[in-house]
Amino acid sequence: MDFSFTSDQQLLRNSARAFLDERCKPALARALWDDPRGESEAMWKDMAQLGWLGLALPEAFGGADLGMVETALLLEEMGRAAYPGPYFSTVLAATAIVELGSEAQKRRWLAAIAAGAARGTVALLDGAMDWTPAAVATKAERTAAGWSLTGTKPFVPWAHVADVLAVPARSSEGLSLFLVEPSTPGLTLSPVTGMDLSMRWTNVTLDGVTVPDDAVLGAPGQALPLVEGLLRIGAVGAAAEMLGAARRCLDMAVAYAKVREQFGQPIGSFQAIRHKCAEMLLEVENSHAATYYAAWALDAEAADAEMAASIAKAYVGDAARRVCGEAIQVHGGIGFTWEYDLHLYFKRAKALEVMYGDADWHRELIARRVTA
Amino acid sequence: MDLNYSPEDLAFRDQTRRWFAANTPAHEPRTLDERRAWHRRMYDAGYVGMGWPKEYGGQSATPMQQAIVADEMAHAGAPPTINGLGIGIVGPTIIVHGAEAQKQRYLRKILMADELWCQLYSEPNAGSDLASLKTRAEDAGDHFVVNGQKIWTSGGVIADWGLLLARTDSKVAKHKGISCFLLSMRQPGVEVRPLRQITGSSQFSEVFMTGARAEKADLIGRLGQGWEIAQTTLSYERGGNSLARVTRYASAFYQLVRATKELRRQGRPLVEDPVVRMKIGRIWTELEVQRYAALRVLSALTKGESPGAASSITKLSYSEFEKRYHEIAQEILGPWGQVTVAGPDEFSEVETSSGEPGTWAQAFLWSRAGTIYAGSSEVQKNVIGERVLGLPKEARADRAKV
Ligand SMILES: Cc1cc2nc3c(=O)[nH]c(=O)nc-3n(C[C@H](O)[C@H](O)[C@H](O)COP(=O)(O)OP(=O)(O)OC[C@H]3O[C@@H](n4cnc5c(N)ncnc54)[C@H](O)[C@@H]3O)c2cc1C
Repeated sequence: MDFSFTSDQQLLRNSARAFLDERCKPALARALWDDPRGESEAMWKDMAQLGWLGLALPEAFGGADLGMVETALLLEEMGRAAYPGPYFSTVLAATAIVELGSEAQKRRWLAAIAAGAARGTVALLDGAMDWTPAAVATKAERTAAGWSLTGTKPFVPWAHVADVLAVPARSSEGLSLFLVEPSTPGLTLSPVTGMDLSMRWTNVTLDGVTVPDDAVLGAPGQALPLVEGLLRIGAVGAAAEMLGAARRCLDMAVAYAKVREQFGQPIGSFQAIRHKCAEMLLEVENSHAATYYAAWALDAEAADAEMAASIAKAYVGDAARRVCGEAIQVHGGIGFTWEYDLHLYFKRAKALEVMYGDADWHRELIARRVTA
Repeated sequence: MDLNYSPEDLAFRDQTRRWFAANTPAHEPRTLDERRAWHRRMYDAGYVGMGWPKEYGGQSATPMQQAIVADEMAHAGAPPTINGLGIGIVGPTIIVHGAEAQKQRYLRKILMADELWCQLYSEPNAGSDLASLKTRAEDAGDHFVVNGQKIWTSGGVIADWGLLLARTDSKVAKHKGISCFLLSMRQPGVEVRPLRQITGSSQFSEVFMTGARAEKADLIGRLGQGWEIAQTTLSYERGGNSLARVTRYASAFYQLVRATKELRRQGRPLVEDPVVRMKIGRIWTELEVQRYAALRVLSALTKGESPGAASSITKLSYSEFEKRYHEIAQEILGPWGQVTVAGPDEFSEVETSSGEPGTWAQAFLWSRAGTIYAGSSEVQKNVIGERVLGLPKEARADRAKV
C-alpha cells in the first residue's frame, strides 16, 4: 500500500510546475483570450519536446507508455496554471485511437500527436446535453462511400484547433466512434464563448457528413465500452485539473490572509477566515485522495475503478467550486476584479464542473451501483 | 503509487478474517464479565495491543496490520475490546514516558483488561482550554494529595485507574505547572457520579477527588512535564482506526440502502425516488473519499512518517462527515429514524460511533459527540490554520499573562 508518488512521478510534477510557472504565466492566458485559436503554438511544441503529448502513448509511436496517474499529475499542474490549450482533449482522442484504432489509424495519428504535429478532441456530449453514452442520438447511416453522420455535438473542447475529431454516433449495429477531419463537407463548427476564456468550446453540427469505411474505430457498433471509458478518463482528468485550480486558490487565499491587515491585525488571525482556510485545505486534501485513488484505479483496472472515477468527479467538482469561491471571499473586493488572477482558476474549476458529467450525473451512476 | 495490498498483508487479512468469522460471538456481550471474556479471547489469539511493542505483551505489528485487524473486526461486526482508553492512550503513555517499574506494574494488566482505565483530563472549567485545569496535586512527603473535579470521564464508573492531569505548581505559566499521574479510582477520596448523555445511556461521568492519594511512584515523567506528555499521547488515538471506521459506516450504509427498498413514498419505493438517489450517491461518495484518505494516512504511517498536526485534518474530516451522514440517513428514514428500541425488522439496528450497536436514532445522536471530544472541530481548525497553513495566531486574552 503506497499512496505516495514515485520519484519519477515527483520529478514529472516538479518539471511540469517549473515549466508552467515559467511559460504559462497568467499574462499568457490573458493575452490569448483575444486570440482566435486561444493557445500558444510555441508552448505546444515545447510540451511535445518534454514528452507530455506522448505521455500515455505506446513507445512504438514516440510515447512514454505511462498511465493515468502521470496524466493526472500533469493535469493538476495545468489546472494550477489555468493552462489554455487542447492538451487534455488531445489525450482523450489519442486514447480512443490507442484503444480501438487499426494499425493504419494509429500510424496516421499517434506519432503526429506525440510529436506535437496534430491535435484532437472527442465529442462526448450529444445533442440533448446528455453525457450518457447509451443515449447518443447522432445517427450514422451506411452509404456507398462509407458512412453518413448527422447530429449535433455541443460543447466540444478545442474542436476549432483539432486535426481530428472522434465522434460517437449510432447505427443499427450500435454505437461507433468515427474519426472525422474538420474539413469534411457537412461539418460546421461554431464557437461557444464561456466564462473561462481559456477553455474553448465548439458546437459541432454534422449534416450528412460523409466519412470512409476506415473512419470507424474498431468494428462498427462496438464502441460503447470505449466511450464509457473515455468519459471516465475525462472525469478523472477533469478532477485532477480542478484539484490544481483549487490548490492554487487555497495557496493564494492563505498567502493573502497572512499579509492583508484590517482592524490592526492580519485577517488570517480572525477565526472566520482561518477556519475557512482550514475547511478549504480539508477539501483539497480529500480531493487529492479522491483524484489519485481514481487515477490509480483506472491504471490498475481495479474492480472499483468505475465507481472511483464517478466519486472523484462528483466530490472534486463540488469541493473545487467551494474552495475557489471561498478564496474570492477571503480576498474581499480585490478578488472580484478582472485584473486579479483568482478568477482564472475559479472559472477553470467552474468550467470543468459541468464537463464529463456533473456531480449529480455521477451521483446517479453511484446510486445505481450501490443499490443494484 | 500502488494501492494494492501486499501478498503478506493479504495473507494476514485472510487469516484474521477466518479467525473473526469463527470466533465472533453470535450475541453481543452485555455484561462486563462477558465483554472481558471476549477481550481475553482476542488477546489470547494475539489481536489486542497490535501496536504495542512485543516486550510489553503487544504484537509490534505494522500500521497496516493494526489497520487490518481493526478493519476485520468491523467487517465481522465483532464487539470492541474493552479498556479502549487504557490500550489506546494510557499504555502508550507509560511505554513512552514511564519508568521501568511502572511498565512492569501496569502494562500487562492494561492489555489483559485486568485493570480498566479512564482519562481524567477535562474539568468543568477546562475543556478546550485544558491547560487551565484546576485540580491540584500537593506533595505530602511520601505521596501526593489530590483535590478537584473532573468531568465527561468516559468509563469512569467501571474504571480501576485513571490517567490524571493535575496542577502541581500554580506559580509558573499554566502549561508548565501540570503533572501527569496514575490515580487509583478504588479509594475513598474518589467519587464517581454517572452523567446521562443525550443518548439516554451513561458512558461518561463526573469524578470528585477529595484528599485522594496518588503514590510518588505513580508520577509519570517529571513534575511539570504533564502538558508535554498529554500532547504526545493525544496523537496516539489517530491513524490505525480510520479504515475500520469507514468499514463500519459502510455496513450501516448498506442497511440504509436495504431500507430504501422497503420504505415507500408517493406510492413507490424510496430507492426509485431521484431525490433519495442523490442523497445515497452523496453519502457513498463522501464515505469512499474517507476511505481513500484513510489509505493515504496508512501509507504515510507505513513509511514511518508521522502525520503531526495534519492528523487534525483526518479528525475534522471524519467527525464532520459522520454528522452529515446521519443527518441524511435521518432524512431518508423519516419516522423510522426516530426509533430507539430496535424492532424485529432487519434494518433498524446499526453500529453507533461508540462502537456499540444501537438504532439509527442512537447512531444519529452519537454523531454529535465526535466533533466535541478529542479536540472540537473549532479547535482542530485553529490547529490546521496555525500549524499546517502557518496563519497568524489570534489575539488571546490569556496570552499576555503567560
Ligand atoms: C462523549 C464524550 C466523551 C468524553 N470523554 C472524555 C474523557 O474520557 N476524558 C476527558 O478528560 N474528557 C472527555 N470528554 C471531554 C471533551 O474532551 C471536552 O468536551 C472537549 O475538550 C470540549 O470541552 P468543553 O466540553 O468544556 O467545551 P468548551 O471548551 O467550553 O467549548 C464550547 C464551544 O466553544 C468552542 N471553543 C472553545 N475554545 C475555542 C477556541 N479557542 N476557538 C474557537 N472555538 C472554541 C468549542 O469548539 C465548542 O464549540 C468527552 C466528551 C464527550 C462529548
